[in-house]
Amino acid sequence: MTERDQLAAAARAAGLRVSQSELERLLPAWRRYQDLVQAMRAQARRQPDPELP
Amino acid sequence: MTVDDLCDAPLTEVARRLRRRAVSPVELVDAYLARIVKAHRLRAFISVTGETAKRQARAAERQLHRGETGPLLGVPMALKDLLATRGVRTTAGSRILARWVPRQDATAVSRLRQAGAVMLGKLNLHEFAYGVSTSNPFFGIARNPWDPTRIPGGSSGGSAIAVVAGLCAGSLGTDTGGSIRIPAALCGCVGLKPTYGSVPVTGVLALGPSLDHVGPISRSVADARLLLEVIAGRRVRPASVKGMVIGVPDGFFGQQVEPGVARLVAATVSGLRADGARLRRVRLPAMVWSVAVQLVTLRAEAAAVHARWFPARSADYGVETRARLQLGHLVSGADYLLAQRLRQRLRDELRSVFEEVDVLAVPAVPLVAPRVGQPQVRWRNRQEPVDAALVRFTAPFNLTGAPALSVPCGLSQGLPVGIQLVGRWNDEATILAAGQAVEDRVGRLGRPFE
Repeated sequence: MTERDQLAAAARAAGLRVSQSELERLLPAWRRYQDLVQAMRAQARRQPDPELP
Repeated sequence: MTVDDLCDAPLTEVARRLRRRAVSPVELVDAYLARIVKAHRLRAFISVTGETAKRQARAAERQLHRGETGPLLGVPMALKDLLATRGVRTTAGSRILARWVPRQDATAVSRLRQAGAVMLGKLNLHEFAYGVSTSNPFFGIARNPWDPTRIPGGSSGGSAIAVVAGLCAGSLGTDTGGSIRIPAALCGCVGLKPTYGSVPVTGVLALGPSLDHVGPISRSVADARLLLEVIAGRRVRPASVKGMVIGVPDGFFGQQVEPGVARLVAATVSGLRADGARLRRVRLPAMVWSVAVQLVTLRAEAAAVHARWFPARSADYGVETRARLQLGHLVSGADYLLAQRLRQRLRDELRSVFEEVDVLAVPAVPLVAPRVGQPQVRWRNRQEPVDAALVRFTAPFNLTGAPALSVPCGLSQGLPVGIQLVGRWNDEATILAAGQAVEDRVGRLGRPFE
């Protein structure tokens, strides 16, 4: 599954109708968003709650 | 000083001359209206309320004649078109609200009116305040008065243009990721984002409710102080820069900054030391997370705010805003909560730094005004979207809610640069004192164009 396919699927799942041209426009922003969110999730994993095993 | 010269004077000077009856508010309104017509190509205004302004000016003249007072009595102002104005259309720079005429004023607007301000009209902005270029698809591409091929910044771009080009005595903007401070820095005027919650946002179209602020855009630091006192409804105590401890962060706030901007900010900080401040290096390592936290928080909150129109009226949005709202619908609840946890770390880190220092001094934006339509900034080892670069140093203080002031500190490549002074929560007095010291040393940047 390409990044474009993943974005199209995510948009459908969110109930959005996104045209091909909108998908093209959205793709760079989506990539940047994914990179930042992945880094944020990784940071959360590195700093777990000290109370938990 | 002629009435036309007075159009470029600080708001506090305009108010003083009105009180002394050295100038008539009616003459002043006429002079500003003539200038607004001449400066049409800058696309600062969405609506000019000339007849209303003249009527208000005549009423103010009668009040002044009777010896009545008010901090802004007869002072002609203009407002970002995101603040609701009773009986005057409030578009939010959008097609969706192009015909909306509110029945009530925003609280900040009502406080300005109670102080006696005269309203010249409503100012251009990025569509729904959701962006930083003010290249508005419905009301025109706003132009930087210093170089019309460049953006004024945004989203309160019209406010900064109107202040710098002498089209009003002062203005209000709103700031969700830097929308007051960015245009102030790029156009060469003063922009103050007060502490979160200290100025009511009632009647202001929301964008990101946990990030939204209202504040002044003005020609001087004293003007910003006066306008803050009016809209916050409280006095701001005087303070001095002598003995103040100024924190100079390294790392995040020193990377990917144009050399001309970095030099001017460093020289301004040295000037503050010469004025009696002490400098201290500080570390804010968690600030690198502000980029991700701001993006996730704002995309999600804006999507929620716009749920009443989007996606139902998707075609009525400009392409850029539509894409941002689409992305907002893809943010998961779990990611939003992760972002809020990291956001708390940013607040905690800032709070502990403010145990050591009184003010942080950083660039307001890392570059001078980009060209209209420029998509990317090229740094030595990477490219960055222009909008991301412009909010990089301002958004952390929307996330933390700390007050932040942008003051002009010189010209680089013939374009204005702003230094950002950040203070403790509810301590606008200290950053205004530091800002006054910067202004006293740097002076006004001059007139951008004739």
